[in-house]
Amino acid sequence: MAKSVAVRFSRASDPEGIDDELSSLWTEAGRDSPVTRALMANLVVVRERAAPDEVDLAEPLEDVPIEEVARRHPSRVIVLHHGGRPDLCGPVAARISVLLFGAPPARFGVEQIAVRSTCADVSLPSIVRRLARGDLPTSIWWTGDFSEAAPVQALATVGRQFVYDSRRWRDVRRGMIALASIVSQPDGPDLADVNWRRLTPLRQTVAQALGQSIGRASPTHVRAHVHYRPGEGALGWLLAGWLASRLEWPPSGEWPVAVQETRRGDEILSLTLEADPDGSLVATMTEHRILVGYARDVAPLTIAVPHESDADAIAAELAGLQHDRCLRETIAVLGRRFESR
Amino acid sequence: MADTTLTPPHETLLDRLSVGLTPPIAAQPVTLVIFGGAGDLAHRKLLPALYNLYVDGLMPARFAVVGVGRKDLSDDQYREFAKDGTKQFSRRPLDEDKWLSFAEGLFFVNATLQDAEAFASLGSRLDTIEHERGVPGNRIYYLAIPPAMFVPTVQNLARAKFVAPPDRGPFARLIVEKPIGHDLTSALQIDDAIAKVFGESQIYRIDHYLGKETVQNILVLRFGNSIFEPLFNQKYIDHVQITVAEDEGVGTRAGYYEQAGALRDMVQNHLLQLVSLVAMEPPRSLGAEVIRDEKLEVIRSLRPIADEAVDRQVVRSQYTRGFHMGRPVPGYREEDGVDPRSRAETFVALELLIDNWRWAGVPFFLRTGKRMPKRASEISIQLKETPPVLFNADPAARLDANVLSIRIQPDEGFSLAISSKVPGPRVRIYPVKMDFHYGSTFGNVSPEAYERLLLDVMAGDPTLFMRRDGVEAAWQWVTPILQRWALDTDSPIPGYAAGEWGPPEADRLVTSSGRRWRNP
Repeated sequence: MAKSVAVRFSRASDPEGIDDELSSLWTEAGRDSPVTRALMANLVVVRERAAPDEVDLAEPLEDVPIEEVARRHPSRVIVLHHGGRPDLCGPVAARISVLLFGAPPARFGVEQIAVRSTCADVSLPSIVRRLARGDLPTSIWWTGDFSEAAPVQALATVGRQFVYDSRRWRDVRRGMIALASIVSQPDGPDLADVNWRRLTPLRQTVAQALGQSIGRASPTHVRAHVHYRPGEGALGWLLAGWLASRLEWPPSGEWPVAVQETRRGDEILSLTLEADPDGSLVATMTEHRILVGYARDVAPLTIAVPHESDADAIAAELAGLQHDRCLRETIAVLGRRFESR
Repeated sequence: MADTTLTPPHETLLDRLSVGLTPPIAAQPVTLVIFGGAGDLAHRKLLPALYNLYVDGLMPARFAVVGVGRKDLSDDQYREFAKDGTKQFSRRPLDEDKWLSFAEGLFFVNATLQDAEAFASLGSRLDTIEHERGVPGNRIYYLAIPPAMFVPTVQNLARAKFVAPPDRGPFARLIVEKPIGHDLTSALQIDDAIAKVFGESQIYRIDHYLGKETVQNILVLRFGNSIFEPLFNQKYIDHVQITVAEDEGVGTRAGYYEQAGALRDMVQNHLLQLVSLVAMEPPRSLGAEVIRDEKLEVIRSLRPIADEAVDRQVVRSQYTRGFHMGRPVPGYREEDGVDPRSRAETFVALELLIDNWRWAGVPFFLRTGKRMPKRASEISIQLKETPPVLFNADPAARLDANVLSIRIQPDEGFSLAISSKVPGPRVRIYPVKMDFHYGSTFGNVSPEAYERLLLDVMAGDPTLFMRRDGVEAAWQWVTPILQRWALDTDSPIPGYAAGEWGPPEADRLVTSSGRRWRNP
């Protein structure tokens, strides 16, 4: 992949003087040709580390497309490397960067602040409040696996939007329970799950296909089967949770759905909906398309799946800033179900 | 034949000859006598400001700066003290050649301010310095000392005959730092005592916020742009928020702060000054008295908050243990010099109303505190929402209201938040902003507030200083709140963890009407 950052200015910074030093870094960045300081949001990228002291703040992150996201949704990016033992609360270290994209005269830049903290979890919001610009929406992007370490609630709820990717979870059950506790907070943040975004075309297609088949059936007569490819457990359970929340299945009771891991060709996910005596439909999703077949004599429906990189998806979620009621309700119902079992 | 040309009777030769000319800011030859000259304010602010004025060529050709204090310092030691402060706190690096030239005008006199005899020897030293430096006797006396010392010092100035009447001979001016008094009664006593020695035109009451470029720009923003002023009224404004946040704790000022608290320290002066600038009517001219008259009208129009209304409209709080940039910090009652049972407030939030035609029914939410997440001062003027139709029809996804934010510090400037369509086939709306930064537009070299204010005193321009009636009107409004609190010695004072934006009670003050604080 071609490097998108045209020029990078970077230096270590005293954590107390970050704004002043950023101003001078911007002056330096604009010395040779004009640069537009692009700033739509605060994007706080949380990186949980076993040994944050060993993190080199000058090294660009390889496993998370932060710069690509920042190029698409220009933000003040605050990368927070956090972890360690709170009883060994070390000094906060910081590094500031200005990343320039594009060629003159359309050159624009974003600012990035990388911070390393080994202090207690509860101290993290004080760093975010200090560094975030109040006149911009703040999104928290949690890059870790919730099933290994639950998000720090005080930090997850400090912004307006909480972005994550449930595809990274090794244990869906633990991940959902951890997330549900954030959802249950009054005035909690808007949620944006990149994996849920991947599910959206399937949900849209199923909703559209119902009009051709079993859309008039009673919700109480529906049975479902969900098959997901190995490694896509979160996607499978999000689909099941969506059905449960929309069809109002009680979280602690038996759900008329079977969720199974299955390897079938290039299939990522499939959903079979049966509504006796009205009929059934089967929707299968691959990387490129969604195919819906019907039990009755109706021509199958094929919809292309839009191709998005992770950076595209995250940037689109950041720009959306939407309150996704369906996702919240899905997480809530899944959280209650997993907790009750 | 009679001459029928009409000449306005008041037009003078000066009026005629000054047409088309901008009057220079003319700092006259002067001796600046700083009482408390070896103190923190002089070290951090005054001496670096004077150095910068000197480098910018704005100091008079002939000047002397005389620090007065109890420390036993020689002139050379005082110059070192000044150099250290300038190195640490000046907005520009110290230039050794310029410093040497500037430092020739610095002197120090050891004196105890309660001692009338000491003023006699101070007088003879000042005469000597002025003779050597060629200063014709113009003097500015700067009271950089605790408020309790104001009156004795001024009385000793009078006894030593240091103060000439305003209209005769070399000028004598007095600079007074806030706080002037601790309530209305004490402010009146101090003002009366000073008025026996100095005329009102000789007194310059400093509120350093008024010297900040962004604060001065409020008037330009309002009255120099046709886009904003028509909106500044109850028809279009939903509410106004002013936040003045400090990230530091009480530090070394516990002795003062225990007596003062945030309401006296910040609200009575800085925040009410900002309210008056945001809310004032257009002045008929930029004359000092005209502007100060209009600001006074705002303060006099504030609806009083007294008795039970204090409990509803004012929240006081103290910071407790918490975090500053991730590091643990102590609570207020654990700080050095603070009473463990202290009731001094380190945070105040309040809702005020202005009872005039322009602002009827528009709440102004003010808050200030120590140990908040960052040092930031901001005024946010939030416009009313668009009607709940078209793009604002979905009650679950209301559009953000337009907000004009004026950043006073840091990153001085202002921005206007508006809604914009995200490029793409669907209608998605995102809150974007039009942003102006002083630093990137004019270069990051705005003078410090004290530079402007000291220059204005030397030039005799009182526009950016508080007038006696303004100070007293502010005390008159604040005093019923203080009285209510003084009666309540039992109920617990809410706490907020250091590193947070205040207690939940302050949030409720705003959210009870469906609004929310905008954090800088």
